[in-house]
Amino acid sequence: MKKQGNIFICMSGLILAGALMPVILSQYHLYILTEIIIFSLFAVSYNLLLGYAGLLSFGHALFFGLSGFATALAIIHFPGLTLLSTVLIGLAASIIAGFVIGALLLRHKGSYFALLTLAFSALFYAVAVKWYSVTGGDNGLNIVRPDLNLGFASISVSGLAHFYYLTLIVVGATIIFCWYFTQTAMGKTVLLMRDNEKRMQFLGYNTNFARLILFTFTGALAGLAGSFYALHFEFVSHMAVSINMTTVVLLMTFVGGTKKFWGPILGVFVYIIFQNYLSDLTDRWALIMGFIFVFMVLFVPGGLSEVIVKIQQRLFGKRNDNGVKYIASEEGNL
Amino acid sequence: MSDYFHVRDIHKDFSGMKVLTGVDFKVRKNERHAVIGPNGAGKTTLFNIMSGDLKPSSGIILYKGKDVSGKPPHILNRSGLSRSFQITNVFQQLSVFDNILSGVRSRYGLRYHFFKRPDRDHHLIEKVEALVAEVGLTDVKDQPASSLSYGQQRALEIGVTLSTEPELILLDEPTAGMTHEETVQAIKLIDKVTSGRTLIIIEHDMDVVFSLADTISVLYHGTILVSDSPEKVSNDNRVKDAYLGEG
Repeated sequence: MKKQGNIFICMSGLILAGALMPVILSQYHLYILTEIIIFSLFAVSYNLLLGYAGLLSFGHALFFGLSGFATALAIIHFPGLTLLSTVLIGLAASIIAGFVIGALLLRHKGSYFALLTLAFSALFYAVAVKWYSVTGGDNGLNIVRPDLNLGFASISVSGLAHFYYLTLIVVGATIIFCWYFTQTAMGKTVLLMRDNEKRMQFLGYNTNFARLILFTFTGALAGLAGSFYALHFEFVSHMAVSINMTTVVLLMTFVGGTKKFWGPILGVFVYIIFQNYLSDLTDRWALIMGFIFVFMVLFVPGGLSEVIVKIQQRLFGKRNDNGVKYIASEEGNL
Repeated sequence: MSDYFHVRDIHKDFSGMKVLTGVDFKVRKNERHAVIGPNGAGKTTLFNIMSGDLKPSSGIILYKGKDVSGKPPHILNRSGLSRSFQITNVFQQLSVFDNILSGVRSRYGLRYHFFKRPDRDHHLIEKVEALVAEVGLTDVKDQPASSLSYGQQRALEIGVTLSTEPELILLDEPTAGMTHEETVQAIKLIDKVTSGRTLIIIEHDMDVVFSLADTISVLYHGTILVSDSPEKVSNDNRVKDAYLGEG
């Protein structure tokens, strides 16, 4: 219970810090921070599949990009729409895709699941590249952020600070909900299915159904991140649905660590900041990122979050007797 | 109520190998029914078919008047049937409390909820506490299952089996691998927790069978040799032959 209290204090602190950022940071850094928040949701949604459900997907960018395209297309073809409607359109597209693809995949696990997601991802990528008249092909789609209409007032979010606040509120709240989700009945069911699916079936759980719901849910979360990605960069191209984008989120999640809820968020911070500084230094930044990834997988398979937890344990002593150990492993997924 | 649970002419082949060749027996409501038989008689296959883990090659299983053969495990569980596993099959990382909670919340429909937290539901917590006490694990309820002694793990296995409040319980060799001492305790426990419920137990240990069962069915070479009261079964010559070797 005390730990829960600490989490709420931490979150309030983070929200306060988030609110002050436009005052503290330069425009350039605020731009990067907005990107970090968006990718954090993408990585958290990915980790709900990978870390919590034990499902390795190579198609997560599909939902991210699909939703980005849907939002961009809505803005281009229906100029009167407000910002939130365009986000909802993106979300709806990713939910439908998640449900349909999930229904086709749900009996597969392990490498079959991974390869099938890869196949679907390749399919969407091919469509994005070839269907020039709709997706803009290699050129992508340029958009302008519409106004945010709250019913009583219309707010322009064309400025970065305003859009940052919108992202912080909507995407930030969704990330917090994701954390809460891991504590709910469904969140626990997902974890238990990973550990012992057979027993869950004999306890009355329809595990295929649960996997479908989870797949759709994580697809929707990635979709929300994708919509905000399109709105943030005011641009979307086939890069957003590419295998490359899935690799990026996989890297972020691995670098941060899959065993903690906040691991992927940490991974996003490190990845995006590194990428920005490295790309200033050299054109070969991707190669260096690759080396870092190989190093992490070989020597720190638990990711940076594991390193932090180990340092914490060394500094404050191990708080592990049998009883607490269990909580640690359960909230270890925090 | 003679047709509460009726296994009717169940056959099972595994790619040509006939394991069950027409299994027939009935279980009355609130009866304690033991299925015994020598090694290789097909007990585990039969058990897996009854619990929904395997589909029979032919034949049906009537449960409360409905054919449930080949129904998936989660559907069978929701209709009131619950099974245990011979090799303890609980959530090793989870505490005793959370192991039991996983079934209790399923019973009360809290399986996939996106907002409710089962560990905050007082009704569920009370139910879990009561069941933990019933299987005698209150002292270790916050410990992970992996840290329990063998006897405690078996008690937890029974606890998890009971956690969905079944009316028909299928136990697969609940005392397998136990010492004599532990077996005596286990019999007491099973006797206590299955009162007012129907029990089908697959067992090797004759002490367990004769101290628990109202009816015994003897499975031999994939078919039921005899299904009767313990006294009659123990005096049956065919059964003696089956166990002592075909003379």
